Amino acid sequence: MERKQIADGVYLTALPAGQFHRCRVSINFIWPADRQWATAEALMPLLMERCCADCPDMTLLSKKLARLYGASLSVDGVVNSGSRVLTVAVGGIKDEFALNGEKLSEEYAALALGTAFRPYFVDGVFDPEAVAIEKEQLRELIASEMNEKRAYCVRQARRKFFGDAPAGVERYGYAQEVDGLTPETVTRAFFRMLRSARIEVMALGADACAVEQSVLKALEGIERAPADLPAAFAQPAQAEQSFEEPMDTAQGKLCLLFTAGQPQRPEKLSAARVAVALLGGTATSRLFVNVREKHSLCYYCAASYASMAGLLCIDSGVEHQNAKAAKQAILEELDALKEGPITAKELADTKRSLKNQLGAVGDTLQGMENWYFGEIMRGSLFTPQQVMEQVDAVTEEDVRNVLRMFTLSVSYTLTKGENAHV
Amino acid sequence: MSETSKQAVERATAFEKTVLPNGLTVLVHPMPGFTGVYALYGTKFGSIDRSFVLDGKRWDLPAGVAHFLEHKMFENEEGDAFTLYAKTGANANAYTSFDKTCYLFSASSRTEENLDILLSFVSRPYFTEKTIAKEQGIIGQEIKMYDDSPDWRLMFSVYQCLYGQHPVREDIAGSVESIAEITPEMLYACADAFYRPQNMALAVAGNVTMQQVLDAVERAAIPEKTGVVERIPVCEPRQVAEKERSFSMPVSKPLLGVGFKEALPEPENQLKTEFLCDILTELICGSMTPLYRKLYDENLVSPGFSGEILSVPGALCTVFGGETSRPEYVRELLLQEIRRLRSEGVDAELFTLCKNQLYGELIADLENIDDVAAGLFSAFSRGRTPAEEIDTLAAITLEDVNSALQNLLQEEYSATVIIRPAGEKKGELAS
Repeated sequence: MERKQIADGVYLTALPAGQFHRCRVSINFIWPADRQWATAEALMPLLMERCCADCPDMTLLSKKLARLYGASLSVDGVVNSGSRVLTVAVGGIKDEFALNGEKLSEEYAALALGTAFRPYFVDGVFDPEAVAIEKEQLRELIASEMNEKRAYCVRQARRKFFGDAPAGVERYGYAQEVDGLTPETVTRAFFRMLRSARIEVMALGADACAVEQSVLKALEGIERAPADLPAAFAQPAQAEQSFEEPMDTAQGKLCLLFTAGQPQRPEKLSAARVAVALLGGTATSRLFVNVREKHSLCYYCAASYASMAGLLCIDSGVEHQNAKAAKQAILEELDALKEGPITAKELADTKRSLKNQLGAVGDTLQGMENWYFGEIMRGSLFTPQQVMEQVDAVTEEDVRNVLRMFTLSVSYTLTKGENAHV
Repeated sequence: MSETSKQAVERATAFEKTVLPNGLTVLVHPMPGFTGVYALYGTKFGSIDRSFVLDGKRWDLPAGVAHFLEHKMFENEEGDAFTLYAKTGANANAYTSFDKTCYLFSASSRTEENLDILLSFVSRPYFTEKTIAKEQGIIGQEIKMYDDSPDWRLMFSVYQCLYGQHPVREDIAGSVESIAEITPEMLYACADAFYRPQNMALAVAGNVTMQQVLDAVERAAIPEKTGVVERIPVCEPRQVAEKERSFSMPVSKPLLGVGFKEALPEPENQLKTEFLCDILTELICGSMTPLYRKLYDENLVSPGFSGEILSVPGALCTVFGGETSRPEYVRELLLQEIRRLRSEGVDAELFTLCKNQLYGELIADLENIDDVAAGLFSAFSRGRTPAEEIDTLAAITLEDVNSALQNLLQEEYSATVIIRPAGEKKGELAS
């Protein structure tokens, strides 16, 4: 991995990918999330993905991608621990597979840069016709979150957990604000992003020098004033808040969110990785073996951890009548790990599982990109091999110390219960 | 095709194959530059295999047995496979589809030990009334989870409308009622009939050699099984079982599924027909088409609206579907477009672009160790290699597509399913 700064607030990370048949270029804009801009910023990816100045029609763009042997183009926006991240990515098969000797990788980079820096404007703003169409799509995107019940339950819990904090800014914005969006407001949001975002370019298996020159050329004439990104921030501990939402489902959903009260320092993250995996991250974890297999209280029960927000999430698919018992069993398992014995065998098993996952990071383009982007966001830049060594050094006491930091803040249940309340 | 691309494709599609004296097929694709190994040990036994004769005795299975067996093969007297893999750190899993059951691991070290575990637990079935009862509870919850998935419900509802007899109409996991009928004897009979080396393959890709795999198979000493197994085919009429179906569940927007039941091609034309169906779905409502543009611009569908095909022994169908605010109208537009293409012929440029796109997808599927191992198993179960797939795609012409469209996607053999948001007033299907 090679990483360097190529302009003020602009970084290029090159990852070799000789073993893969595809290559990929991604351009990540990262800037502080702001509730006021959330809905306009949520509409931007939809507009940018449908066309750009170099290819100002979505059908023509689809044909161009097909001509490049089914190359993929995506523009995706998320909120990551108080920062808004917009990612433009283009990937496709390498030049050697082109049936007629086309220089595909050059075209991927040109397409990514065109999409990121040169949107299709009409009279200086996003195409009003496209804005009208994509507003409808955004509205439906927001409404459709209830279709996937597991993700919906977690999102609802996170809303209660983060409240008005920047980390709680909605990825897709707010339904009641969609009507008020205009081509002008979205265009302002776009130029605000160009001006204030840190830009992280990642080249996987692509010619990094050529990408660097193209990025610098794209930046010419753009007035830049990159903003400082918000420091990692964890929600303070609070008394548990419990919510039930009625929904006519066959299976109930339960989500428990815990706060550590402080963000995890990168060098301490490996202990948290081991602790969360031991609790509910593997098929031999306490939650899987006891809550699912032994007590048959759920179909799935998994723990995950967002280190920059100090957030531990446990979510479970449960029989409606078992939700309370499942919650109790989950809390007991967490307490048992905090205060009870941890066997050398289960600790070793967990470490082996984690190291196996870390060893596989370099075997997919997506795995490499996700890993190094995560490290960049945390400001740590550890390699998977370095983290494997850290994992090896984690002790039982480290695991207990990590888990003791967590207190339950929010429990959220999708239930058939008549007395459900949100 | 340029010489460079020809050589690149040859490298990407190369693999080694050995058929052992006990009948087991071993397929290996060593992939330089990769750290991990992905191994998949599978059998040609899936949810649609419901009736068979084993050594003269007929067995008719309730829905969900193959999937249930997959769950139960994960454990024996000594514990479950996850416990064994915990000693190596490998990531293990299994899945059941309509026509196969596969057990797999991915690991970045200890290849020999992991292969030993994989081959040992899949080769030694162990069931009791007690362990079966426990699994009925767990799978019952899995079934309920899928019952809440609108896409899953839509897909199976379309299959139920298209097929009156073929088991593809029933959920791969079965139902709470059907799995209650499962007995240890039934599971042992299925394991005996289908988990025999002649019906199985071990496909491995990544940082591995054929010799490593053959050594592991030798250590496992998997015996050849004697006896006769005969699958009993299903008699499925050409007509669809049900033309229309509508129901409601908690969704934000209606979902539409329009399925077309196709006549079964001759075996030698199977792969080509599947590609033709695939290309047609793109030519009708793919992102490059005028229909998709109209649907999108007029906010009639969500971006995921698309077509896909299902091809398993005894069933071939194409299903278009996704979210739409006006299901009846979108269905009519879809049928109109199929009629238009049938009479006017498909656009030559779009056809070429679709072929390009499919070629890129096939190459991308040869990239990761998991996809490569799955592709190798498919080469075994469907009798086709990745190289043959690329060659077959390359040979398809515009005339092939126009000719096929005269017979495929016939309204007479179609069925429509609409899922409405709970509480929404039921509408009428457009004629």
